[in-house]
Amino acid sequence: MTMARESYREDLATLRADVLDLGADVVAQLDRGLDALEAGDEDLAETVVANDEAINERYLALESECIDLFALQQPVASDLRFIAASFKILTDLERVGDLATNFGHYTRATGESHLDTVDVRAIGAETVDLLEAALDAYEREDTALCRRIAERDDEVDALCRTASERVVRDLIGAEGASDAWDAEAVMDDVSRALLTIRDLERVGDHAVNVAARTLYMADNDDALLY
Amino acid sequence: MSETEPEPPSEQPGTDAPSTTTAGETDEQIREEWRQYDFAGQAKIAVEDLDVSYGDDHALQGVSMDIPEESVTALIGPSGCGKSTFLRCLNRMNDRIKAAEIDGSVRFDGEEIYQDRVDLVELRTRVGMVFQAPNPFPKSIRENITYGPRKHGDIDTGLLARLTGRNDEQAAEDLVERSLKQAALWDEVDDRLDDNALGLSGGQQQRLCIARCLAVDPEVILMDEPASALDPIATAKIEDLIEKLAEDYTVVVVTHNMQQAARISDQTAVFLTGGQLVEYDDTDKIFENPESQRVEDYVTGKFG
Repeated sequence: MTMARESYREDLATLRADVLDLGADVVAQLDRGLDALEAGDEDLAETVVANDEAINERYLALESECIDLFALQQPVASDLRFIAASFKILTDLERVGDLATNFGHYTRATGESHLDTVDVRAIGAETVDLLEAALDAYEREDTALCRRIAERDDEVDALCRTASERVVRDLIGAEGASDAWDAEAVMDDVSRALLTIRDLERVGDHAVNVAARTLYMADNDDALLY
Repeated sequence: MSETEPEPPSEQPGTDAPSTTTAGETDEQIREEWRQYDFAGQAKIAVEDLDVSYGDDHALQGVSMDIPEESVTALIGPSGCGKSTFLRCLNRMNDRIKAAEIDGSVRFDGEEIYQDRVDLVELRTRVGMVFQAPNPFPKSIRENITYGPRKHGDIDTGLLARLTGRNDEQAAEDLVERSLKQAALWDEVDDRLDDNALGLSGGQQQRLCIARCLAVDPEVILMDEPASALDPIATAKIEDLIEKLAEDYTVVVVTHNMQQAARISDQTAVFLTGGQLVEYDDTDKIFENPESQRVEDYVTGKFG
């Protein structure tokens, strides 16, 4: 038995490597975004925001790589599932890139904040870890890992729910506590805290999407897609 | 497999088998699975344990499959895998090859076709065939259509017929029009029915051959690579026609073109070397998630 369609097989391997590359860069962006937010490092935040365009460009290039493969190679069976899954996973990675940028936008150098009540470091680390695990599952087609990621995301959701409640409780407790109560500033700060929590939760959701597509790709199993 | 593994959908064969991969499954197990392949509707042709050999050469080994009526069944596989041999067994065209030894059962509407009292002319009328290279008779377009029915005595406009008051000229005209329309050729030739058929393009000739096949009112149409000698436009017309024909006829198509099988067929049978039917299932299943690793390797072009 001889291997056929060698350049096609190389294209598939390249696509996988490129998706993982983009994934690694998105994880790095996410790390930097969370660092900036936590440390109030506005310079780092700016770098994160500036990097997003490059991520978007690479995402579009890879999407077009997938379309070329569909059009020119008419993939079927596991090849079809691999390219289709990669095509969807790319979108999730690009979205995580946007969320990393959001963390950059939420970064403020000074002042007390309702965000201080949220353990951004812990929840953030957990979501970064989830995304890394999802990329690892994609690389190795590890279906058991895919299922574990979905379970761990339930825990992230719970952490985020608790954090949101704390922000709101804190707000209720603080109302009118001092004469310097500035409604505009409080509103801005509280929404920033709540948006941060929501975005952290979304990073987890995207990690689950990557795992769900990977499970479909490896096993033709759509269990996590629903 | 974790406990959260969902039940495979019921249309998948072998619900007790992992839905994932066939690694570790023997060909024997796979054969047992596709025997259970279940489709909606009636089996028009039921093949069981069909063996064909040419001398020491096994062209088909233990092939069993049911072909559903009013649908398109594609037969795919590498050269020499036995798919054309299988097709020719369905209307006993292999009888013409002396060296061919045929064993097993082929039932057509429940009737065994491999028994002595079968009328081969009638069988081949009910199970028509279209070949790879268009082969119209070197006669007019009209005569190509009326040749079969005339031969079978369904229409007769000769001298004897006229003397006995049996003049079916109008019936013949109706048949020509109906057959050419069914084969999507009427609009292109209705003003030149008396022209020689060999003056038509390759694609038109092939549709004429399909019209000729339809004129004797078959129930099953066997096609051996019907579009492989045609350009993409003519191929597309044949493919459209095949899909249309499946509304009224049972169509079985041998093709080397996997994308064509994927486009036009409802179910696909994959034959691999040694004359074995390795997998038979709904076409989307074969091209999205085949059970057999060998089929996976074949359809993705991993071996050639």
